[in-house]
Amino acid sequence: MFWTVTLSLLKGLSAATQLFFLTLLFALPLGLLIAFGSMSKWRPFRFLLYRQENPGRGTAWLAALRPVSALTNVVVWIIRGTPLMLQLIIIFYGPGLWFDNNIWSFGNGRMFACTVAFVINYACYFSVIYRGGIEGVPVGQREAGEVLGMTKRQIFFRITLLQMVKRVVPPMSNEIITLVKDTSLARIIAITELIKAGEAFMKSDGITWPLFYTAVYYLIFVGILTILFNLIERKLSYFK
Amino acid sequence: MSILEVQHLEKHFDSTKVLNDISFSLEQGQALSIIGSSGSGKTTLLRCLNFLETPDNGTISVQGEILFDAANPQTQLESEIRKKRLHFGLVFQSFNLFPQYTALQNVTLARELMAKEHGGERKEDIEAAGRELLAQMGLADRAEHYPHQLSGGQQQRVAIARALAMHPDILCFDEPTSALDPELTGEVLRVIRNLAEQKTTMIIVTHEMAFARDVADQVIFMDGGFIVEQGNPHDVIEHPKEERTRQFLARYTEN
Repeated sequence: MFWTVTLSLLKGLSAATQLFFLTLLFALPLGLLIAFGSMSKWRPFRFLLYRQENPGRGTAWLAALRPVSALTNVVVWIIRGTPLMLQLIIIFYGPGLWFDNNIWSFGNGRMFACTVAFVINYACYFSVIYRGGIEGVPVGQREAGEVLGMTKRQIFFRITLLQMVKRVVPPMSNEIITLVKDTSLARIIAITELIKAGEAFMKSDGITWPLFYTAVYYLIFVGILTILFNLIERKLSYFK
Repeated sequence: MSILEVQHLEKHFDSTKVLNDISFSLEQGQALSIIGSSGSGKTTLLRCLNFLETPDNGTISVQGEILFDAANPQTQLESEIRKKRLHFGLVFQSFNLFPQYTALQNVTLARELMAKEHGGERKEDIEAAGRELLAQMGLADRAEHYPHQLSGGQQQRVAIARALAMHPDILCFDEPTSALDPELTGEVLRVIRNLAEQKTTMIIVTHEMAFARDVADQVIFMDGGFIVEQGNPHDVIEHPKEERTRQFLARYTEN
């Protein structure tokens, strides 16, 4: 029985792992893009101020408006402000329910929908961590690059990026460990991840221990990640 | 012809005027010291010259070429400014070395990026030039050290080498010793003194009066965003004409 359960849970683990890595693969870069969006200083209506000596309150508001930043912040607020479980349900069932068009009906559709929901959700959380990391790099670093004639792109990739990475490793490790356990939410759209795989034995064989046995899988998964994060932190400890 | 010509420079932050009708010129190979109390606009002036701030009025010309004219937006294009700012080098009060790079990499990074963009110099040549500069700063044996492994004085000397690596026409120092322990200021001042002897064109914002007097060919005293007095260092520092300069200097001799 033990081996039957172990094997069955391994299948669940494989689904969870797949979701985990796919989410990281897409959410890590997307989060950076969202972070840039939320930091965007683009003010397209600023020209309104040049025309008028004494701008009215409405004009001043419009001139100060940073649409990219504002829009990004609203999206991040909505995604962080609602449960991931609800987002999963909306993304998977929404198209079929409201538009009569189940876009997820192909072979791996469930996993695909699930990945989309996870990527959006986690990218928003990551973006806030990234922003903190970027804003934590002293302005003097950017200015030093500027006076040496570097482009904005060079300054970001050659100077800011690594300093940001060093800063975001601890909060990121928290978030990524949470992601491991959040993969269990995939069962809400009937993906057999670990918990669902363990619970199945309650129904079929009337035994509960497989459900609790899943904890071992999570612990090992997170244990490996912890070692990895420590390694990265040590790798980056060569500078301060 | 003067190498640097600044005319009627003005800068506001919101409603506060930080720079007021600043005009001066600097000859090739000369050193200019700017003195004055905190908040007098010295640092803002240097930041304007290095295009870290955009002046609201006035012009900046180097070797007769107008680099910046507040009245002409064509001179303020992002892509143009990148090239123009290379006429100036800036050494910051707080060094601002890149912590993830060694002393040598700090010195060579910008040149290597430039070479990658436009072709030209080989990596080995840039590196050799970088080592040479570090040796000039007395840091030959510190080339592979990371900034946090260096003392403040050593870090500032790396920062000077980094600025020199870009061959600026005019090297600016923003209170280069203010963030240093008193016993470390000497080594940095000595390096700057050497540069002055080699006829490097420099602008030095400093609180070290004796140093300003000895090293500079010209001194400007600023107060409240105005140039109150300018002239040769012995006149301005030892025989100031203006009351405000006298008061400022008196506070220094008291300490």
